[in-house]
Amino acid sequence: MTAMDTLKNALEASLKPTPTVMLVGLAVVLLFPVLLHFILSASTPYNTLPSVLLVGPSGAGKTALLTLYERGLLPKTEKPAPAQTHTSQTPASVELAVNEDGTSSFRDDLDASGSTAKKFLLVDTPGHAKLRRFALSRLRNIPTTTSTGKTSKAKKDSKLKAVVFVVDAAALADSDGRGDSLAATAEYLYEVLLALQKRMGSSQTSRMPSSVPVLVAANKLDLFSALPAALVKSQLETEIGRIRKTRSRGLLDSGVGADDLAATEESDNWLGEYGSEKFTFAQMLEFYTEVDVIGGNVAGDGPGADKWWKWIAERI
Amino acid sequence: MLDTFEILTTSGVVLWSRTYASVNPSVINHFIADVLIEEKSTAAGANDGNSAATNPPYKHEQHTLRWALVKELNIIFVAVYRSLLHLSWIDKLVDNIKALFVSLYGDQLKKPNTTIVECVQFDEYFDQQLHELEGARSKADDATDEALESRDDTALGGVGEEPPLPPSLAFRGRAQNDAAKEEQSADSTPIMTPNNSRPNTPGGSHLVVAKAGPVAKMSRRAKKAQNAHLAPASSGDEAPARRSNTAKATKPKRGRKWDADGLADVDDGDVQLDYSAPNAVASDSDASAAGRSTAVEEVDASTWGSKTKGKFVLKDLGDEVQSILASAEAKNPATKTDASAGLVGSGLSTIGGLFRNFVGGKVLTKEDLDKAMKGMEEHLLKKNVAREAAVRLCEGVQKELVGVKTGSFESINARVEKAMEASLTKMLTPTSSLDLLREIDSIAAPPVTSPNKARPYVMSIVGVNGVGKSTNLSKICFFLLQNKYKVLIAAGDTFRSGAVEQLAVHVRNLKELTVREGGQVELYQKGYGKDAATVAKDAVAFAAQEGFDVVLIDTAGRRHNDQRLMSSLEKFAKLARPDKILMVGEALVGTDSVAQARNFNASFGPGRSLDGFIISKCDTVGDMVGALVSIVHATNVPVLFVGVGQHYSDLRNFSVRWAVEKLLSSS
Repeated sequence: MTAMDTLKNALEASLKPTPTVMLVGLAVVLLFPVLLHFILSASTPYNTLPSVLLVGPSGAGKTALLTLYERGLLPKTEKPAPAQTHTSQTPASVELAVNEDGTSSFRDDLDASGSTAKKFLLVDTPGHAKLRRFALSRLRNIPTTTSTGKTSKAKKDSKLKAVVFVVDAAALADSDGRGDSLAATAEYLYEVLLALQKRMGSSQTSRMPSSVPVLVAANKLDLFSALPAALVKSQLETEIGRIRKTRSRGLLDSGVGADDLAATEESDNWLGEYGSEKFTFAQMLEFYTEVDVIGGNVAGDGPGADKWWKWIAERI
Repeated sequence: MLDTFEILTTSGVVLWSRTYASVNPSVINHFIADVLIEEKSTAAGANDGNSAATNPPYKHEQHTLRWALVKELNIIFVAVYRSLLHLSWIDKLVDNIKALFVSLYGDQLKKPNTTIVECVQFDEYFDQQLHELEGARSKADDATDEALESRDDTALGGVGEEPPLPPSLAFRGRAQNDAAKEEQSADSTPIMTPNNSRPNTPGGSHLVVAKAGPVAKMSRRAKKAQNAHLAPASSGDEAPARRSNTAKATKPKRGRKWDADGLADVDDGDVQLDYSAPNAVASDSDASAAGRSTAVEEVDASTWGSKTKGKFVLKDLGDEVQSILASAEAKNPATKTDASAGLVGSGLSTIGGLFRNFVGGKVLTKEDLDKAMKGMEEHLLKKNVAREAAVRLCEGVQKELVGVKTGSFESINARVEKAMEASLTKMLTPTSSLDLLREIDSIAAPPVTSPNKARPYVMSIVGVNGVGKSTNLSKICFFLLQNKYKVLIAAGDTFRSGAVEQLAVHVRNLKELTVREGGQVELYQKGYGKDAATVAKDAVAFAAQEGFDVVLIDTAGRRHNDQRLMSSLEKFAKLARPDKILMVGEALVGTDSVAQARNFNASFGPGRSLDGFIISKCDTVGDMVGALVSIVHATNVPVLFVGVGQHYSDLRNFSVRWAVEKLLSSS
């Protein structure tokens, strides 16, 4: 009976317009949104490290390069050795650091030398044709829908600083014979460059989107059959020129109606300088996209991956 | 023997590997591309990737792969061995290693922004497991009577590695034991066997504890098998005692009383001493209870240990491994019951769950998804997707989503839609480039450096009656003519009345349309009644002679389930040797599209399949373009073109984004 009474009293007290009740009510009303904000912001990590995107066809050595840079920083390992890798299915990102003036090697331990470090994320993307949307949507600034919540969240907020397009220079060499590795590689590079070009043109606001330089990393130069960087560049340029030509002559995509035709000019889908005979990477400068081709290798003996690291470090 | 064992992440980094014979990495790359990315081999809903035992083995060249996947942590376990060897314990090895690795390094794997997992010590665990499973396996082969028990279960455990002692030794031990007791004859007499478990030396009480053994996680049957194998491996003294466990496991435990002269009196009273689960198919709570109780016993059991080769280090590791495996197994049913209790249980968590439905951040369970998936399946069926394809898509999405946290202010339906969009995109996106013009260029006009000689590019078109083969052929021809190719059309339909004349009309029209633009097109026809394959072959030879760039071969329409008509396609593919075989499918067709695509894809003999689809009549179905999905689902062959109207110019490249938008649009 007493329990019932106290309950009744408490209920009555809570319904009376007393100052205490008013204060408690006010506090609840005011604090609730604040609390909600904290709960939500705690669940989504806010991370704005600049990022560098690793793209390229399957088997070019993207994941190997990623692991090389990551493991190269380990003080324990004697010499930098990339991990054994296989075909990627999901993107992976790794936090790396370079010192302020961008001169440190990926082998250096920045903590030991005591210099201030600039951190950035190196994001590896799968190169398989079915999974390229990770990379391309990232380039188009659309948040990706990955099944792995862990990786996608960190990526969404980070700022894209540069793109490293890894190419298997050894596979390009024998593309004349049987494989169409050159064609496939060039096509992917074409997609990437076109995405970057459109990104420049499609800014709604007056502020230009920051320019994204592209590094074509001619990998596997340790192999005897690999093409040197200059040849890789010229081969890719001619192949992209060929793709550009056939694309312009090709059929329209399904879903493009006659009325849309007028709206989208032909030059929008033309990579580089419109109407030019030959495609060169220099044409991309018109769209504030700088393209460099540098040779190197992840595994084996050769020029190594230091030049690429330097290139990345300069752009962070 | 095992060739290699690798643990890798889905992002492609090998975390740990052990190689016995070097295997080309392309084997595993092919496996990943075929099974995990393109999902070629998976029969609808056949596996969930969780356990190697349920995943179908993947065969590539001379190697067979057994694999398991941990979706939450994004890691894959792959074992590679020669296909010639029949290693039945591999799947168990993969599963055990999976459980071990996850429990040892699971927290390291959850760290963001790194690919490094420190797992150098894992070598020892792996060796222990390999020895154990291999040991058990070889013993099973030697000891014939035990092998009768169950061949597969032998792979489950067994600590010993020594070859079995001769049966006489084991028998001597038993005889000794018999002397102390009364009329024991064999293990197979169920009533007497409890007495067997009495050691002849009262001090050796540790043997009584050996009931469950370290393998607490195993089913009773498995335990039985395992114990049966242990018996001959141990010394003669221990053998009977352990062997008795085998028999004991077969029947309920009973209370015993001891009379004055030390003989056991079996009491059939109602005192229940058997606390273990009554049988293997116990309810969840029972099973978890059993798992826990045996795990506790395992601790004292580990004090006696097995004197295998006298290596105590190995023994400790083995016990640790067993306890990890046991706890992993015990966790399984436990989590299940927890989940159900959480749902119906406290009101607060239910309200919290409702709240999270709107705010997001909810971890999806199968129950949450069921309703949303049902709706999605319904939606797909409405879009004319064949049931088979819709079910498989939904199952794939559901598997992908279980255990995933929803984003902020994201409802379950929105999450499901997002996942379905990704899944459809992945399915419809072609694996290789589909730039037809470039392909024609590379064959009809190869670069000077190339060793290939120029020859006409041959394309043929097949399909069921009345889907629009000739119409689409003319559309493609029109497109090629606009690009200034020299095209020869071969009338391969030597069967239907008027087919040749129909093509002749098309050719006349096309000529008139493109003559100003410089297109050249001719018809190659041999009238009716001839063998289509020979006509096609002659046409290709003629085109090569006359310097045509492209040959387009029309074929007769045929019903996909008519064996007689379909068999002629194989000969056709052999003689004409087309660079591209395209099948025309209409968007109007429903469930039958799956069978059509499958039968046509398989009809060109081994080593040749379809290269692409043309989906005709897309303008007549509006949003219901589900036939696309059904066809691609059935064959993994990409869609090249889409027909969107009656005119020659109404041919479009297939755009994945367009199709996905249409499929997911609701109206």
